Amino acid sequence: MNQGNEQIVVEYALTESPAKVWRALTEPELLARWLMQNDIVPIVGHKFNFRAQPMGDWNGVVDCEVLEVIPERKLVYSWQGGSTANDAYGHKLATTVTWTLEPATDNGTHLKLVHHGFHPDDFGFKAMGQGWRTKGQAIDSAAASA
Amino acid sequence: MRPDLLKALGDSTRLAIFERLCTREHTVTELKSYFDVSQPAISQHLGILKHCDLVRERRSGRFAHYRARPEGLRPLATWLRHYQQFWPEKLSALSTVLKEIHDESR
Repeated sequence: MNQGNEQIVVEYALTESPAKVWRALTEPELLARWLMQNDIVPIVGHKFNFRAQPMGDWNGVVDCEVLEVIPERKLVYSWQGGSTANDAYGHKLATTVTWTLEPATDNGTHLKLVHHGFHPDDFGFKAMGQGWRTKGQAIDSAAASA
Repeated sequence: MRPDLLKALGDSTRLAIFERLCTREHTVTELKSYFDVSQPAISQHLGILKHCDLVRERRSGRFAHYRARPEGLRPLATWLRHYQQFWPEKLSALSTVLKEIHDESR
């Protein structure tokens, strides 16, 4: 697992095929078994949500929209949920979740998740490079005082 | 409460202004000398950064001085902390579910 300051990256080597992993990412029932109740449809533009148990002032809903679909290879959706008041549930920032599936040599799947605050196509994401280091330090100090 | 924090930092000029204000205080006129945009545009960017609590303003006579407020990045820190724990847990659950699908299809 690799963690940057500006995004969360989690990689997993799975023994199952990309076809099977794709099902677990895009079929609502299977997806619900490991993530949350949802009404996902892997079609660009489809708006859906994840629904968890409401906690505190968070209604338990994560609002999403499918942004990119390459069957068995790539799935991108927006992700906005959590609480603006209670840090424990993750802050309600407008973010993006990108899943990438790559066939592995053992017929398995190399699965990569990137959860970030900027869509990679946005200028802001590209502009981060150098400047983000300053903010990275600021974030670290903000986190330390949080 | 800054739901548009990332949007505020997602604009290249605003991001550059914020970074410049991280180094020291500036007036709008000083900022304008670094960027190829009009003074009203600078003021508008500063307004958005202020709205998101990323910049604070200090009045001194006729001039307003602006400085970055790094604490404004705190929601980003809490978001990261939450999901850095959330996703590994979920992916671990995914690998379990995948094995169950395997079993079902046998």
